[in-house]
Amino acid sequence: MDTKTVKKVAMLARLEFSDEEVERLAIELETILNHFGLLDEVEGLEDYSLNPIEVIDILREDMAHIDIPVEELMKDMDTYEGYVRGPRLS
Amino acid sequence: MISREELLELNERYGMFYNIADELPDGDFHFSAKDNLTTKDLPTTAGSRMLGTYRPPFDAAAVEALKKTGGILLGKTSMDEFGFGTFSTNSAFDIPCNPFDTERSCGGSSGGAACAASLIGGHIALGVSTGGSISCPASFCGVVGLTPTYGRVSRYGLIDYANSLDKIGMLAASCKDISKHIKKIIGEDPRDPTSCSHPPWHERDELNSIAVPRQALDGIPKEIISPFEEALCILKKEMGMNVEMVDVPMLRYAEPAYYVIATSEASTNLARYGGMRYGAKGNDLDMHFDRYFSTVRSENFGEEVKRRIMLGTYTRMVGFRDRYYIKALRVRQALIKDYERIFEIHDLLLTPTMPFIAPRFKDINMMSSLETYLSDRLTIPPNLTGMPHLSIPCGYVERMPIGMQFVAPHWEEGALLYAGLEWEKLFEYHAPEDRI
Repeated sequence: MDTKTVKKVAMLARLEFSDEEVERLAIELETILNHFGLLDEVEGLEDYSLNPIEVIDILREDMAHIDIPVEELMKDMDTYEGYVRGPRLS
Repeated sequence: MISREELLELNERYGMFYNIADELPDGDFHFSAKDNLTTKDLPTTAGSRMLGTYRPPFDAAAVEALKKTGGILLGKTSMDEFGFGTFSTNSAFDIPCNPFDTERSCGGSSGGAACAASLIGGHIALGVSTGGSISCPASFCGVVGLTPTYGRVSRYGLIDYANSLDKIGMLAASCKDISKHIKKIIGEDPRDPTSCSHPPWHERDELNSIAVPRQALDGIPKEIISPFEEALCILKKEMGMNVEMVDVPMLRYAEPAYYVIATSEASTNLARYGGMRYGAKGNDLDMHFDRYFSTVRSENFGEEVKRRIMLGTYTRMVGFRDRYYIKALRVRQALIKDYERIFEIHDLLLTPTMPFIAPRFKDINMMSSLETYLSDRLTIPPNLTGMPHLSIPCGYVERMPIGMQFVAPHWEEGALLYAGLEWEKLFEYHAPEDRI
């Protein structure tokens, strides 16, 4: 993995690194990805599932109720007039 | 019942709890919860500065279940940040020390849980395993660790690492202790759909045959193999089990497949930490939102967390998804089929739990990330397949415990407990000097 790719992945992952960290990560991630390359040896497998067990869709009747009171959930948030405060969008 | 003062004193020496309850009333039994299980009475950090201030408004389903059945929550146990580690050293907070030698690791990521189970008599520690985070510390701390089938225990209230791999289980000083309490936390929970499709608990009172995968023993040092072979002799001669070596070629690919799936899922799970709704927040809301999120995440995630987010983001990128993520899912399915074929003939699989005894902290500092990942190679296969497994002490080297790991077919936890209960009639466990 080159430093350009590290920077691109970091941008997608919303992480920031110094130039020194980028250099180090490029080497570390390359080593680990080379190991992941073992998977290239495996051929001819078709089946796959997102879970290791069969998960059956079970539907229930909709029921209106409050699981956790909104004020409890908002206790840890920075709010203004009942809205969660966030950074600028533009 | 242990007193709060005794607990504080023990914690001063071993660091297994991040926090201890203010009051410890009398109850039927005491338990602890790994710090990635939410608790409304105590902060929940998952070992991360990102959640350093988080106080959940609800109990995780497993915590709720133990409280309802007379359990007293002693505290929250230390762990690797978000479960990302093998030695409980990747934490923003205290690192637990091994109860048999404080210069050595407890293992991870449920290191504090194993330490508590080892040092506090009769204690039940709730742990969480994604790739071996119950078995590994159980082996290093000389206790029993049961990881149930994926979906057997509701994950409601668990701070996710990897959705398709996370499992809540128990650690205790003996299989007998686990047998008493495990059924309290199992069962369907509509708050976790993956817990809603499992068959009932299946008790077992007879086992005949054990398979040992030949590939799993490659490269394991003699100090681990010798006590493991002695354990096989006891299983054959004293428990009357048929023990047979088998081939599982797909095991070669289990470890890379696991890390691809785990980091892919982790990178999406951890996208929720943006510094707005809970946990750490940024100081400057005038920043552009991209910069705001990146700043909060970069300042509050630890090094290993960032590394795994980077790996998982990369393996899901356009052009790489089929090569890594989908291929890893296919390997998982093939390994499940390999194991199912073996279970048509044998009741259980058995391997050593870890390829070495608990390492010293100074040696852990010298290990590369890949070396650490490779040390999970024996605990990863059952975790990848979602099959239940039990790590149980089987020997001691330099006074340090060694574990062996039984694996059963999906939903056959009863077979594991039967094997464990029979084993501990024949094998005497050592307790650490400071056990109270």
